[in-house]
Amino acid sequence: MDQHSPLVRLTGILDRFTENTGRTLAWLNIAMVLLTFTVVVMRYVFDQASIFMQETVIYTHATVFLLASAYTLKHNEHVRVDILYQRMSGKGKALVDLLGTLFLLLPVVIFILVTSWDYVMRSWRIFETSPETSGIPAVFLLKTLIPVMCVLMIIQGVAEVLRNVAVLGGALPKEPAALPSEEKL
Amino acid sequence: MFAVVCLVLMAGYPVAFSLAGTALAFALGGMAFGVFDAGFLGATPNRLYGLMTNETLIAVPLFIFMGCMLQQSKIAENLLESMAELFKGLRGGLGVSVALVGMLLAASTGIVGATVVTMGLISLPTMLKRGYSPSLATGTICATGTLGQIIPPSIALVLLGDVMSSAYQQAQRMQGIFSPDTVSVGDLFVGALIPGLILVLLYIIYVVAVAFIKPSAAPAHGSLEGDEQRREVRLWHDLTPPLILIVAVLGSILAGIATPTEAAGVGALGATILAGLRRQLGIRVLRDVCQQTTRVTCMVFLILIGAAIFSLVFRGYGGDDLIHGLFEGMPGGVVGAMIVVMVVIFLLGFILDFIEITFVVVPIVAPVLLKMGLDPVWLGIMIALNLQTSFLTPPFGFSLFYLRGVAPPEIRTSQIYRGVIPFIIIQLFMLVLLSFWPELATGLPDYLYG
Amino acid sequence: GCSQEQESASTETDANNQANSAEQAAAPAEEKQTYKWKMVTTWPKNFPGLGTGPERLADNVREMTDGQIDITVYGAGDLVPALEVFSAVSQGTAEMGHGAGYYWKGKIPAAQFFSTVPFGLTAQEYNGWIFHGGGLELYREAYEPFGVIPWPGGNTGVQMGGWFNKEINSVEDLKGLKMRIPGIGGDVLEKAGGTPVNMPGGELFTALQTGTIDATEWVGPYNDLAFGLHQIADYYYYPGWHEPGTALEMIVNADAYNKLPKHLQAILDVAIREMNADMLAEFTARNNEALRELVEEKNVELRRFPDDVINRLREMSDETVKQLAEQDEMAGKAYESYKSFRDKVVPYTEISEQTYVEIREPEGEAAPAQ
Ligand code: NA
Ligand code: NA
Repeated sequence: MDQHSPLVRLTGILDRFTENTGRTLAWLNIAMVLLTFTVVVMRYVFDQASIFMQETVIYTHATVFLLASAYTLKHNEHVRVDILYQRMSGKGKALVDLLGTLFLLLPVVIFILVTSWDYVMRSWRIFETSPETSGIPAVFLLKTLIPVMCVLMIIQGVAEVLRNVAVLGGALPKEPAALPSEEKL
Repeated sequence: MFAVVCLVLMAGYPVAFSLAGTALAFALGGMAFGVFDAGFLGATPNRLYGLMTNETLIAVPLFIFMGCMLQQSKIAENLLESMAELFKGLRGGLGVSVALVGMLLAASTGIVGATVVTMGLISLPTMLKRGYSPSLATGTICATGTLGQIIPPSIALVLLGDVMSSAYQQAQRMQGIFSPDTVSVGDLFVGALIPGLILVLLYIIYVVAVAFIKPSAAPAHGSLEGDEQRREVRLWHDLTPPLILIVAVLGSILAGIATPTEAAGVGALGATILAGLRRQLGIRVLRDVCQQTTRVTCMVFLILIGAAIFSLVFRGYGGDDLIHGLFEGMPGGVVGAMIVVMVVIFLLGFILDFIEITFVVVPIVAPVLLKMGLDPVWLGIMIALNLQTSFLTPPFGFSLFYLRGVAPPEIRTSQIYRGVIPFIIIQLFMLVLLSFWPELATGLPDYLYG
Repeated sequence: GCSQEQESASTETDANNQANSAEQAAAPAEEKQTYKWKMVTTWPKNFPGLGTGPERLADNVREMTDGQIDITVYGAGDLVPALEVFSAVSQGTAEMGHGAGYYWKGKIPAAQFFSTVPFGLTAQEYNGWIFHGGGLELYREAYEPFGVIPWPGGNTGVQMGGWFNKEINSVEDLKGLKMRIPGIGGDVLEKAGGTPVNMPGGELFTALQTGTIDATEWVGPYNDLAFGLHQIADYYYYPGWHEPGTALEMIVNADAYNKLPKHLQAILDVAIREMNADMLAEFTARNNEALRELVEEKNVELRRFPDDVINRLREMSDETVKQLAEQDEMAGKAYESYKSFRDKVVPYTEISEQTYVEIREPEGEAAPAQ
């Protein structure tokens, strides 16, 4: 296996997909801030409470945190207990990540995908609307975010498996230890 | 199950998946042997949907956005430099200003990582240059960085408030009390204010004391740059706007005018406008803030998802009944139980961070303690203080990791560890203080809300 | 573990068992199957009336079936969030659920007719409609596509109008008001210019305290006192025009129900009907005590909605109900049945209950505090 093997190239393609998804979703944060602010102004200045707009904030927030989870995974920012991990060699880390992805991450997201399928389908069958009088009549779409998150996580999970296999096979270096840099919170 | 989870966590794979994955394995195993009801796992999508539509938790990404904006637009950095100007000439003055700015940053962002990294980048070099001992400098920065947990508005308190409020209702109903006081995020914010300020005061006292006992560790300093007049102008320019923002956000929540989510939204936009006025708001800054906010938000919520699955399985095995029984049979009554819980949380703080403890441990222990008659605000603040301390405890305190990440290589890790020890002692002292005078936490809410 | 309990059971229960299960005695030593069920609810665990009712039902059923049906009751959020109760029962995650039909109006608009209708039937009239006026058949028909069997599971009687921090002197005062008020009453509030919110009871106190909502109604004095709403609101308005006799709801997953032997189904059915009646009795007994405590000890300011506010709301309710009936086929069917029953029952109620209540006390003496 070398740096130009199809495996490594596939990893790159999956990575790019996740990266672009995450970067695009990130802009929604601005929408969320502006929407929340509008809700406040309407409520306290114009005495008008808009459930529809409040639910828009909920939809936006759910979209970001569910769909960008794979992007966060790619950036290795899901918090770890790194007492031992930090001291491992590149290959040791790759082994932990490989096993973790195979036996923890993938089973969990596949499990969520399977259990949420029926839940979401039931919502689609009746085009479920909001329990609020003037809410967004698209609860079925909101619920659909759950399986979509799982699919995105599986895609990035596969990329992680391939990457760590490549590291163990010596085709790729393990990226430097995830020490918090200025970038990282 | 707890033991296995701890083992899996130690391997270093992300916490969210370790929690959920281990719980899942236990559930499947239990189902294979017919001792686990699959219905509990079936509740997963319902729980997820509950998380997605929880309005209190929307404050989290908004506060994160506000913090990232203050940091990326250098507003936080300018605040520190100007504050140092105010205390020039005083022994330990630079240390005092670091503590004060840490407090303000903490108040406005509530993100430990952001505060420690910002302070580490801007004040550590300055402190070292002025002859501060590396231990004192790093200790002060690490400790003040964690103030964000306790000084409102704080994401930790938002999350903890959400958990405490349902725990409190549960506890009262277990006792058959049906005229409940409820505890809200706002109550915890108010309750945390005085203990938070006392902590700052204790930090300052410590720094000044060191400066007088051992002047070489914390020398006085002169002006950082020339031209008195311009500095005067910059001082007001740098200090006033962020202060107004912080007071506005905090005030509107405490006065009960706005919900934490609304206040967070206004704070986020306010920080953005401030950055715009300072001509710091390029498309790059905006992009970085958005992306950083996204990653931190996902990290938090994925842990919530993991904790939800974990708690379903835990409940499916009757784990909560077990814990209740355990605490009810504990010798020493409420005091004994409280001490045990505090020690357990403190120890867990060595390996877990506040989000996991808040969502995995607190829902299990808090109802039992509250049922024994403890005040929910007091308990909430005790837990928050305890969790804040866990950020500082070597070798795994997150605050230490963050500072290590930005400290110059000549600073030894052992110096950082040595530096935080006095501050850990201060934290423990504060816990003891609060145990003997619960009014420090409960007095202000009582006064404000009757 | 039920065989051991059976042996140690009292002679009385043994006698009952023998009398009831002649056929089982004939079938040689077949072990009785036990059904371990979960019941999710929209209320905090053991909440007065609403939460203790399901708990009592579980006890009754356990005793009547000699442990064959063993129901564990979960409070809101213990297993699933309050408003997810219907989904959980529909998908079979929990076998039973207790809540109120109008909470799932996003799934079944018609469900609101089986909860309560503003200016609609009282509890007594509603039970007449459901059990002897064709209501239950329609109720079941509406829930059938979801694999869920519904029963009325208790009734609150006429509720209170709600907790406000400002006076309501005209319909104008409802404009811009963000109020927790579920079901069709919420739609009416929206027509009046307010913003209705559908929120489970457990979140009300915090929501009102932090300003997420401006006003709220909950149930009546007994339940409102339990949430401490008097601590954070100035005025307590009556009457509950929007909920004149709210039926709570017991739902059972159809597959789980169909797996039960006939005699257990009958026990469950009767136990739920008993609960339906008993909860109304409990509210009738407790509400007046609680109101006295609220007014005399907690110094709550009791207010009656002005007549012209009520008149305007009644007009808007008529429009709202008609619109709802037009929007959804099943809701239309429920409305037709509900309305024709209402038209028939009201004239008789006027000459019986209403007249009697008016003549019971000398004029002026029974007037509620103003
Ligand atoms: Na820690
Ligand atoms: Na009500």
